[in-house]
Amino acid sequence: MRHIIAILLQNEAGALSRVAGLFSTRGYNIECLSVAPTDDPTVSRITLVTTGSDAVIQQILNQLNKLVDVVSAEDMTLGEHLERELVLLKLKVRPEQTDVVRGYVVRTGGRVLDPATDCFIVELTASEPEVNAFIGDLARQATLLEVVRSGALGIGRSGRGLRVVR
Amino acid sequence: MSDTVIQPRPMGHPLAGQRMTGAQMIMQVVADEGVTAIFGYSGGAILPTYDAVFLYNEEQARTGGRQIPLIVPANEQGAGFMAAGYARSSGRVGVCLVTSGPGATNTVTPVRDCMADSVPIVVICGQVPTAMIGTDAFQEAPVPSIMGAVAKHVFLVTDPTKLEATVRTAFEIARTGRPGPVVVDVPKDVQNWEGIYQGTGMLPIPGYRRRMNELAERSVDDAEAARFFEMLGEAKRPLIYAGGGVINGNAASELSELCLTFGIPVVTTLMGIGAFDTTHPLSMRMLGMHGAAFANYAVDDCDFLIAVGSRFDDRVAGVPAKFAKNAKRIAHLDIDRAEVNKVKRVQWSHIGSLPDALRALTAYGKREKFQRDWGEWHAELAELKRTYAMNYDRNSPLIQPYYVIEEINRHTKGQAIISTGVGQHQMWAAQYCDFRAPRLWLTSGSMGTMGFGLPAAIGAQIAHPNRLVIDIDGDSSIRMNIGELETVTTYDLPVKVVVLNNFGDGMVKQWQKLFFKGRLSASDRSLHKKDFVRTAQADGFGFAQRLERKEDVPRVIAEFISYPGPAFLEVMIDRDAGVYPMVGPGQTYDEMITGDHIPSRHKVDIKTPGPSEMF
Repeated sequence: MRHIIAILLQNEAGALSRVAGLFSTRGYNIECLSVAPTDDPTVSRITLVTTGSDAVIQQILNQLNKLVDVVSAEDMTLGEHLERELVLLKLKVRPEQTDVVRGYVVRTGGRVLDPATDCFIVELTASEPEVNAFIGDLARQATLLEVVRSGALGIGRSGRGLRVVR
Repeated sequence: MSDTVIQPRPMGHPLAGQRMTGAQMIMQVVADEGVTAIFGYSGGAILPTYDAVFLYNEEQARTGGRQIPLIVPANEQGAGFMAAGYARSSGRVGVCLVTSGPGATNTVTPVRDCMADSVPIVVICGQVPTAMIGTDAFQEAPVPSIMGAVAKHVFLVTDPTKLEATVRTAFEIARTGRPGPVVVDVPKDVQNWEGIYQGTGMLPIPGYRRRMNELAERSVDDAEAARFFEMLGEAKRPLIYAGGGVINGNAASELSELCLTFGIPVVTTLMGIGAFDTTHPLSMRMLGMHGAAFANYAVDDCDFLIAVGSRFDDRVAGVPAKFAKNAKRIAHLDIDRAEVNKVKRVQWSHIGSLPDALRALTAYGKREKFQRDWGEWHAELAELKRTYAMNYDRNSPLIQPYYVIEEINRHTKGQAIISTGVGQHQMWAAQYCDFRAPRLWLTSGSMGTMGFGLPAAIGAQIAHPNRLVIDIDGDSSIRMNIGELETVTTYDLPVKVVVLNNFGDGMVKQWQKLFFKGRLSASDRSLHKKDFVRTAQADGFGFAQRLERKEDVPRVIAEFISYPGPAFLEVMIDRDAGVYPMVGPGQTYDEMITGDHIPSRHKVDIKTPGPSEMF
């Protein structure tokens, strides 16, 4: 089963490689990974999508919680949560198709960032299945030159925030 | 929170406020931590810290303080295992001080070994100057990346103002929770930097400390204890399966208290040997691949298994589904949440410090006046011990290794520190030596590193100058770090080294005979011309003898053990002696082969396991 795991990680030399290394040495799979700073300059947040049985996911969380730089690790899939992913696409669009493509992008909730026909750049922020559908649809309407995805980001819907408690 | 160091309170460290170099700060923190010896080899990038060790000891000599000897090995791997032997035998953090590049990479094996066996050491390595990192400089190696994969934690100190707190925090991480090795990589310019010594302060590691606090606060509450005793009360054949965690967690006396109060018998893992007095009637000795037949039968027969600081490793539970097959319930106590339900599902578990948990259980049981008569089970176990006792060919004209170890054991009486290499001799020592207390049995369990025995014995002897320390080694294992024979005599350590020589990799040969139709690929050394006795003599051993005749065994062993200085003994053993019992890889205890001299409950055909299981 697919799980989305949120990790708060101390900004230390080698911290990210220790998290990535844990997955490779123990044979776990990373489907996507995104890392960025938080409002706390000492802490970054990793969002990671992986698949595995419940036992495997529990092992992943247990092992993550043994890494010294990991402040906390949570399986977002256990609770209600929102998932969003940003995708940037570069398309080659036939001039007569421009309006169709633009119309589709806007209807889908995306934006056209650059309308040049040989370098038509669009963006969408949506759930993973919606992003997949968006890419599939546009691939039929134009030629895909480049696909840039951020990987999933997740946030829990409970009133409790996943933050560093000091 | 800023990214600077937490300063809890201005404690009165006598040197607080003093200006010193980074190197001197490293040395001062090491001294503050109560370390009594450092193991290491010098080199360019660690020279400032070696100078700081010299200056520290010079100052101690001048003021009559306690010096911290620096023990120099032949190879940094030796230093790592000496630190490990020091830590395993004393429970204190071992310290290893090496240079950058090859110095650091030579310690990778002991660091991984310590991680696998949960042994607290701190390795401090020199690194090329900060500005040179990543330029392929002379003696540069990517230590944080390499060690990151094998250590409990790695620090690369790039901000010299954090150096002091980093070294102190390294000790904290090494010894807390499930202990392990911590590596501190210190660029040369950081060692040469000058600043003010604080004498206090740790790095903020909020997640780790929160988890440690949670572990410390979590004891067995009454509801948990009630459930435990309910299960214990329903059991007719309870058995404790104790592992290295009992020793690493300093819980041996609490474990004994629980066992003796309620009469629960104990098997231990290889790493758990000494967690419970092996000579006690409730001790069923070691289980597993080369465990005693009676120990493995006890596991097969028990109806309630209580795992304490053990982890259902593949050498114990080769087939997890069939391990402890008659146990209706399993309980598991461990410091590491990741070990619970990892291999085998359990019905009751407690994650936390073992001494606290065991004490709470014993107290609850006593308060509730818990009592069960397990006399029948005890009698069954005593019968198993009699019927399936360890045994060998006592009439063979050749020297049997078991006989040699029995003779050694007659003198040591379970009180000596015994280290080993890896292979047949390691298993024979585990099977035939008694251990009446924890931290006497030093062996590379999980990693299985050949060459561990000699340097580990040196480290243990440094930690316990007045104790009898014996390295029971094999001819192949001792070769791996044979350079450390010289270290024994350089420091005039009364270590006893016994090599059971069967001309090759005995365990490998045993497997090749069992599983590869006797093709001894690269494992036989009959034609080698090595003279171990002359090797030991060349390194200055005052006692260096070869034992070749069976009738000489008692006399020579007695002389060897009682020799006051470094002693070396090579014993020419039966080359075909095997390790029995044996549960083949990926096999169940039903399929245990007991050999020609130990009876078996089952008729067993030796099966060749499939290639994927063969390790």
